[in-house]
Amino acid sequence: MRHPTEGVLRRLVDEPAGVSDADRAHVAGCDTCLRALDEIRADAELVGAALATSGSSAVDTDAAWARFSTAPASAPAPVFRPAPTAAPARWRTAVRRPAVAALGATVLLAGAGVAAANDWLPIFQAEQIDPIAVTSADLVQIPDLSAYGDLQVVREPEPEQVADAAAAEERTGLAVPEVGELPEGVTGDPTYQAAGVLEATFTFSAAKAAQAAAAEGEVLPPTPAGLDGSRLRLQAGPGVAAMWAQPTGVPTLVVARVGAPTVASSGVPFETVRDHLLSLPGLPENVAQQLRGLAADAGTLPLPVPAELVTSSTADVDGAEATVLTSRDGLFAGVVWVEDGVMTGVAGTLSADELLQVARGLR
Amino acid sequence: MATSVRPDLEDVFRREYSRVVGVAARVLGSRDQAEDVAQEVFLSFGRSRVPAGEAGGWLSVAAAHTALNLIRSGRRRASREETVAAADTAVVPDVADTVLTREERSRVRAALATLPRTQAVALVLRHSGLSYAEVAAALDLSPGSIGTTVRRAEAALREELNRHASSD
Repeated sequence: MRHPTEGVLRRLVDEPAGVSDADRAHVAGCDTCLRALDEIRADAELVGAALATSGSSAVDTDAAWARFSTAPASAPAPVFRPAPTAAPARWRTAVRRPAVAALGATVLLAGAGVAAANDWLPIFQAEQIDPIAVTSADLVQIPDLSAYGDLQVVREPEPEQVADAAAAEERTGLAVPEVGELPEGVTGDPTYQAAGVLEATFTFSAAKAAQAAAAEGEVLPPTPAGLDGSRLRLQAGPGVAAMWAQPTGVPTLVVARVGAPTVASSGVPFETVRDHLLSLPGLPENVAQQLRGLAADAGTLPLPVPAELVTSSTADVDGAEATVLTSRDGLFAGVVWVEDGVMTGVAGTLSADELLQVARGLR
Repeated sequence: MATSVRPDLEDVFRREYSRVVGVAARVLGSRDQAEDVAQEVFLSFGRSRVPAGEAGGWLSVAAAHTALNLIRSGRRRASREETVAAADTAVVPDVADTVLTREERSRVRAALATLPRTQAVALVLRHSGLSYAEVAAALDLSPGSIGTTVRRAEAALREELNRHASSD
């Protein structure tokens, strides 16, 4: 008889009763299989030991249920920031409830936050959004804009929690979108956030770029005439957001509105900037390809979407084309769209359908 | 607490909580973070329409995914336990003769997050005490394939450890 598969041997380690009598009888009398079984058992023990957790105290289910069901309304500091911040690391470190909060914030922030995270991307006025699929490896490879010139943050958005929707509007001039009907399971009063405008200027430096390229062992493509020393002004915001959270502090629904990013150049046309940036060494080819494929009218905001974790599609929200993002495990989703220079997003631990319903019901 | 959540939530929570924490803790190596993940997972469950009979498997799979995503996104914070463990002793004796350093443990966890997702989840569920039949049902796989899936994951993780051991 032929040898049982490694899968059968593996099960023999844990659940001998789940292996057929014939296979067990074979293994017992087969040196080859016994040796393989030893190795498989050793690997299983090694991995089991590696994954074992220290601290064997029993889980306190009563306390956990109490936390889950009766946590005070004063949730942990909201991790959501409605406007872009200068460094992605800043909001990342602020994340307390990593999975839910980070994704919720990412979905909404990516659009505006991309201006801060990958400063060179949106050199234009965002009029629509197109997701581009990136892997985490791609993100690591995307060159840091500061290697190609000097980035100076002129105005910080200074996000803060405000008392109510009226206060948010007073600070920003943006009305907080009103949700028509809350989806099932989302209850209570939201907390409100407001943030001012983020403004930064970027000055191209051919010398700095050449230096960065040399450090990578790459040759820089020729700098187009007029680009060296020219300046771009990046602006995004202001922003407002309303956030509903479970008593545990985990956000269930976030509705936000942000002034869509704009970029003003000190004279160099958009195409020149775009083509030069896309030709820089280090940009992963598949990402460059997708960026090149975007509408050429300088109005499309590329939204980097981690392809391993999130799927994207489009849907209609009252005549605007919205990007719908859904996490592959189905736990979170977000909808984001741009209309009249204002970007609106809805995200949360809800299904895409529920979020679309919220999006279409906004007043 | 929202009143519109599913009526069986508390029952399921009390029945499954400790296992859900166990699954997340295997991935994260930290009880604190595992409890945070468990809270999130039950929150999602409470809003879902997963049939009660499938709750256990669904929760375990969700816990494994959520915890793996945390590792993968690099957002896992350095936990108190790890800091304490680092200060305490670098080597922790384990079952049989297996002795692993803290660094080896974190290497295995990092490698875990790079495995094909089904392999990683099957491995974690199996090591969290789910039977082959339970793992198969939770992942919608045939029971006969679980051994192979788990074995592949373990072989990959052992190779990862060996690779580093030989390059040191």
